[in-house]
Amino acid sequence: MSQAIDHGRAEQFFWWVTAHAKALVLAGVILIGSLAAFIPQLTMDTSADSFIAKDNPARVYRDQVRKVFGLSDPFVIAVINRGATGVFNPETLQLVQWLTDQVKTIPNVDPDRVMSLATENNIVGTADGMQVKKFFEPPPVTQSQADTIRAAIADFPLYQGSLVARDATATLVTAEVLDEMKNEATYQAFMSLVQEAPRLPGVELHVAGEGAISGYLFNYIDHDAKRINPVVAIVITIVLFIAFRTVRGMLLPNLVVLGTAAAAFGTMAAGGVPFYVITNGLLSILIGMAVAEPIHLLTHYYEVGRAHPHLTHQEMIVRTMSEVWKPLTMTILTTVVGFISLYASGGMPPMQYFGLFASIGIMGAWGYGLVFIPAALMLVRFKPSPVIKGDQAIDRYGQLVTALGRFAIHRPRLILSVALVVAVLGTIGAFRLIIEEAMIENFQHDEPIYRADTVINQVMDGTNYLDIVVETPTGEGLFNPDALHRIEALQRFVETLPGVGGTTSVVDYVKQMNRSINENRKEAYRIPDNRDLVAQLFLLYSASSDPTDFQQEIDYDYRRANIRTSVKTSHYVNNRAVIERVERYLHEQFNTNEIVGHVSGRVNVNHHWLETIASTHFVSEGIALVISWLMASWLFRSLGAGLFTLVPVFASVLLVYGIMGFGGIWLAVGTSMFAAIATGLAIDFGQHTTQRIRELMRSGTGTFEERMVHFFPSTGRALFFNFLAMSLGFGTLMISAVPPLIRFGSLVAVAMAVSFLASITVMPALATMFRPRFLGFATSDQEAAQAVQLNPVLSVSTMKEGR
Amino acid sequence: MRSHMQNLIMALFLLSPLAVSDVAAESLLAGEEIARRINARNEGEVVSRFITMAMTDRSGTERVRETKSIRKYFGKEKRTIIFYLSPSNIKDTAFLTYDYPEADRDDDQWLYLPAARKVRRISASDRGDYFLGTDFTYEDIRKETKVGIEDYSWKTLGEETIDGHRCFLVEEIPVTDKMAKELGYSKVQSWIDAEIWMVRQAKYWDVAANPLKTLQVREITLIQDIWTAHQLSVENHKTGHKTVFTFKDVTYGQSVKDEMFTEDALRRGY
Repeated sequence: MSQAIDHGRAEQFFWWVTAHAKALVLAGVILIGSLAAFIPQLTMDTSADSFIAKDNPARVYRDQVRKVFGLSDPFVIAVINRGATGVFNPETLQLVQWLTDQVKTIPNVDPDRVMSLATENNIVGTADGMQVKKFFEPPPVTQSQADTIRAAIADFPLYQGSLVARDATATLVTAEVLDEMKNEATYQAFMSLVQEAPRLPGVELHVAGEGAISGYLFNYIDHDAKRINPVVAIVITIVLFIAFRTVRGMLLPNLVVLGTAAAAFGTMAAGGVPFYVITNGLLSILIGMAVAEPIHLLTHYYEVGRAHPHLTHQEMIVRTMSEVWKPLTMTILTTVVGFISLYASGGMPPMQYFGLFASIGIMGAWGYGLVFIPAALMLVRFKPSPVIKGDQAIDRYGQLVTALGRFAIHRPRLILSVALVVAVLGTIGAFRLIIEEAMIENFQHDEPIYRADTVINQVMDGTNYLDIVVETPTGEGLFNPDALHRIEALQRFVETLPGVGGTTSVVDYVKQMNRSINENRKEAYRIPDNRDLVAQLFLLYSASSDPTDFQQEIDYDYRRANIRTSVKTSHYVNNRAVIERVERYLHEQFNTNEIVGHVSGRVNVNHHWLETIASTHFVSEGIALVISWLMASWLFRSLGAGLFTLVPVFASVLLVYGIMGFGGIWLAVGTSMFAAIATGLAIDFGQHTTQRIRELMRSGTGTFEERMVHFFPSTGRALFFNFLAMSLGFGTLMISAVPPLIRFGSLVAVAMAVSFLASITVMPALATMFRPRFLGFATSDQEAAQAVQLNPVLSVSTMKEGR
Repeated sequence: MRSHMQNLIMALFLLSPLAVSDVAAESLLAGEEIARRINARNEGEVVSRFITMAMTDRSGTERVRETKSIRKYFGKEKRTIIFYLSPSNIKDTAFLTYDYPEADRDDDQWLYLPAARKVRRISASDRGDYFLGTDFTYEDIRKETKVGIEDYSWKTLGEETIDGHRCFLVEEIPVTDKMAKELGYSKVQSWIDAEIWMVRQAKYWDVAANPLKTLQVREITLIQDIWTAHQLSVENHKTGHKTVFTFKDVTYGQSVKDEMFTEDALRRGY
């Protein structure tokens, strides 16, 4: 048999593998076990910061700002009462007191950094002085006491919109934590507290805030992964059962999956790389991809067994492996290219690591496919698959693929016209793509946290912070009334921008204090003209405040101040406009030699990493396309054949762009990964098709259509199961509870379907129409000469008879 | 002087071999007794001193304020006036407080703002509120180097050495949760010099039992026969904020007129 195989060294290798089957199987199992042993060390990082590299200038600056001003992501309980008196009635305020007291006892909460109506001071000027007193202590027992508190808040602009809703329907209890790594447990404690809280008619309690979001997301994705992954495994096993209906056909690919998962997650844990939100989709995808290789391999194995029953089992395996290793290696390499280009594009860390560990996993699949499967097959005797019967008998899947293919060959113009329309619409769609993302969109809309975020942003000034840091060249520069007036004007400007609910800065406190030393006269709510008085007002305030009370507004030597802008939305498109206009204002109207402003805060950091989505997306897709094209060209020794191989890639990527562009699906963190991944996967379809057409053109006989009769039931059928496994692998993400994963999974599933269809319709149609020489088509003269000599062995009619 | 002798005798007794034998634990002085001895220490009827208040935030930026402070007992009522001398933008700002002995009577406080030429009465502060931007609470300042016996339950944990001085380690737990909330502490551990009955070090825990701050009392010398600390430093472990009070030219018993503790005196300045 060996003369049929021209892969000398490869063949030697597979003889060696099959001769050491037991040892290799054992080694494979041990390797899975030892890699899996690292997995318990995996850590999770669900913070919004995980999406941006630690050395990104926007993040570095924001971290500095956070340090200078002691800012952290708080937990928030919103108390909402839409009744006539809003939150200003004895029952609701007693509840605020109860919640405040209880929150202080939650482990990890800093009891000194809990803020609510029950903790904050009212600063009021009196005839001879200033009164700094809690808004209430103890909570009111009569409505008139509650009304007094309402009036006090109405006269205290600083807390309107930030502590109490401007329409009095809501108030917040905010808490800072001591250790943000414990946010998950803290979130659970907040949720239990809200459950235990006394129920009041008409009062809603919501837990939100950036701390809560990252705390809950951790739990949310962990739960999601536990739900999705078993479903993927079951679905894939069903696909394998349909494809082969043999035990080894189901078992061996699953062992390859184990090897793949152990390689990806074991190295991830060993390398200390955390598990991010989008890493949740990795296992499902790896399962889908890890089985694609064994499907092709086992299909060929059963075909060889059917066609050459006289061979020993070892010879069958060696022959199968010698014939498939090269195309399989190439498809693995092209798939890796797709993922590696995500890594190479230098985008956000979770995406880069997604690309890296998917590549490692796929390389694991390759290793297990080429070593473990032949070794494991050696441990059993050959038993044919009841569903793979060779060309003579074609099952329904083969028939389906054949019908599709024959239609394409008969109606190439129609197929190509449809393909052209898809390409044009896809290109238009690509120009209509909207780059948009919001952290809160990681949750489904009926999740408590999503509702809490929506409600709080409706009634309060906003839970998303844009910080504008103003800086003067020398210490105490911010005692200068001119600087304070500039800050005030900047605040008034920012408050006019879309989505901005309000701003707070040290200027608001200075004005309030100035009013309080002037018998509380309303006209004294202004910046004093005297520099020393500003300094003395700060000293006055310190008579009844914590030493770090102002740290969120002004630094310790009064050189830098923070203007905290509350924005009602975390959506990129809105906030990009806000940031651009703030930056223009700073540049054109604010900055002088004496004072300079910079933009920072979560909103700005998010803006910066989201800005990279578009560039990362098109760069990674560009890298994937070029490398795939070069690899395919090298494989087929023809640039034209390389381009032909890319047909399923163009078809699937453009169609998905069309769906996204016209369907209003955002190019966001999850969805932006689809193109590079789809490219790596779709090219496999192109490659299998090109390879087989060339083989058939070289070794087969008859017209193109007659030769293609062999293509559809074997390669075409394998491609069908390849598509099915991958589509179902990615498609299972649709049952995820994380919306970005749902969209990502659906888009890649669609891309797989289109790739499959393109590989069995558009590619044969193109071949029929253009008869390219790189596929082995003869020139018209040669063809005329050959036509006389041909003696077709098989034709469509004989195939039909075999059914 | 008499109490000083008593203390000395007590200290000698404690240092005797009997005290360090296996009955040491039993012979440890009761917490409340230690507290009483602290409060029995003479602190002078009038004291006048320069205090440099140096506050440092977590990033190491420092604010230094030079002040002159005078305190005088009017019977059991304590009056204190603080004049700010520097930096220049708060120079002549002055703070006056009347601390009444009655537990249910709020303190009176005034601040003079020279830039506005106004004396403003400031509402009474809670005991647990921070004092003028420092890490000391009003209660810490009010008590100076004394303690609130009735606010805590006292327990002697043992003996340790601080800066080479034998100290009793005493644990103080606020008598009620309400008291803990009022003071801002759920627990205090103090290291009390067994000879001179001054706190040399104390650690504080916040109401949720997180470590809050540490106080160090240094440079304790005898001035006019009164043990006087010349440096108090506090570090807040949660905020990283630090305060160091350095005392200079401390004099006791100086004749200070009663008029020094009035609104007019605030305006006149030091």
